[in-house]
Amino acid sequence: MSRRRELPEAEELNLVPVMNLVTILIPFLLMAAEFVSLAVIDSTLPAIGPPQPVEEEPEKPPLNLSLALTEKGITVLGADAVLNPEGAAPVAEGEERPPTVPCKSGGSCQGVDDYDWPELTRILGMIKDEYPDDENVILVPGSRTQYEIVVKAMDSSREDADNPVNGSPRTLFPFVVIAGGAVN
Amino acid sequence: MSMKKARRQSAEAGLNITSMMDMMTIILVFLLKSYSTSDVSVAPSDNLQLPTSTSQKAPELAVNLVVAKDQIVVDGVPVLDLTKVPDEENPGQQLIVVPEDEKRGQVITKLYDRLLEKAEAAKTLAEQSGSDEHAFKGRVLIQCDRELPFNVLREVMYTAGQAQFGEFKFVVYKQG
Repeated sequence: MSRRRELPEAEELNLVPVMNLVTILIPFLLMAAEFVSLAVIDSTLPAIGPPQPVEEEPEKPPLNLSLALTEKGITVLGADAVLNPEGAAPVAEGEERPPTVPCKSGGSCQGVDDYDWPELTRILGMIKDEYPDDENVILVPGSRTQYEIVVKAMDSSREDADNPVNGSPRTLFPFVVIAGGAVN
Repeated sequence: MSMKKARRQSAEAGLNITSMMDMMTIILVFLLKSYSTSDVSVAPSDNLQLPTSTSQKAPELAVNLVVAKDQIVVDGVPVLDLTKVPDEENPGQQLIVVPEDEKRGQVITKLYDRLLEKAEAAKTLAEQSGSDEHAFKGRVLIQCDRELPFNVLREVMYTAGQAQFGEFKFVVYKQG
């Protein structure tokens, strides 16, 4: 008891300067804080100018893979050799060919989630099996296609997360060109 | 006597700020974690909701072209307003379009002029610096609202292409 009394009284730590420092740091960091992380998707315009000379005759005819995004679904163009090896199924006169990947609800797609993106990725994976060196895909959206759907189509055709190769998602067609050729 | 009184007073007024320090320290750690020095910034609003994507590519500095639901903005300066017209194919719905008198064919004239200025400025800068690092590559960052119909985006992209910007980088939110 007597020993304790000998000790000097514990001085309380003066935290006010630290507080000042922290109070100044907080607005500064708040300004530089990023609450959403951004990414970019690369795309280029279709090349304008003279066509590049073909150096050698390719063994396989080049794949001109196109995805037409319409209100009824997604039509995969330019890969009939894979999708319809026996030729396209006959279509009744006066009827439009149904899209390769129809909407989940049938008929017109209601919003982004109604498009069958996993099915599109699966089909593109099949095409990639046949054309492993091809990396380009052309998107042809309709006039009323929402931008979100275009982005989602780019995502679905870039990589296949469900079938990873060596731990990372399988790369499908990472180079996207957006064509403005849709008439409707 | 007077000194004794003063000391007692100060003891009464003494604020215990230790708990506040605890809080501040936690906030500090959280803010340091979310600190970023990214070149690209977005100002989300009702008219500019970026889509989410699985892309992992980091954005880089380029001309910033914002296509919101109501206007087009280049590097923070509004260029022109978009209008809504009744949709002919879907009665009762409205379609966002570029006003007809702002266009020449498919080219949005005001946007074309502004982008051409940017291209010329970037080229002058590249010439003066003389290094390959600053060479003009025609890169443009496009921030576009997720609900915008493609007809507007097509005209914007076409105009950018005409104004020598051929490398598009679509800015999206990273998923997860």
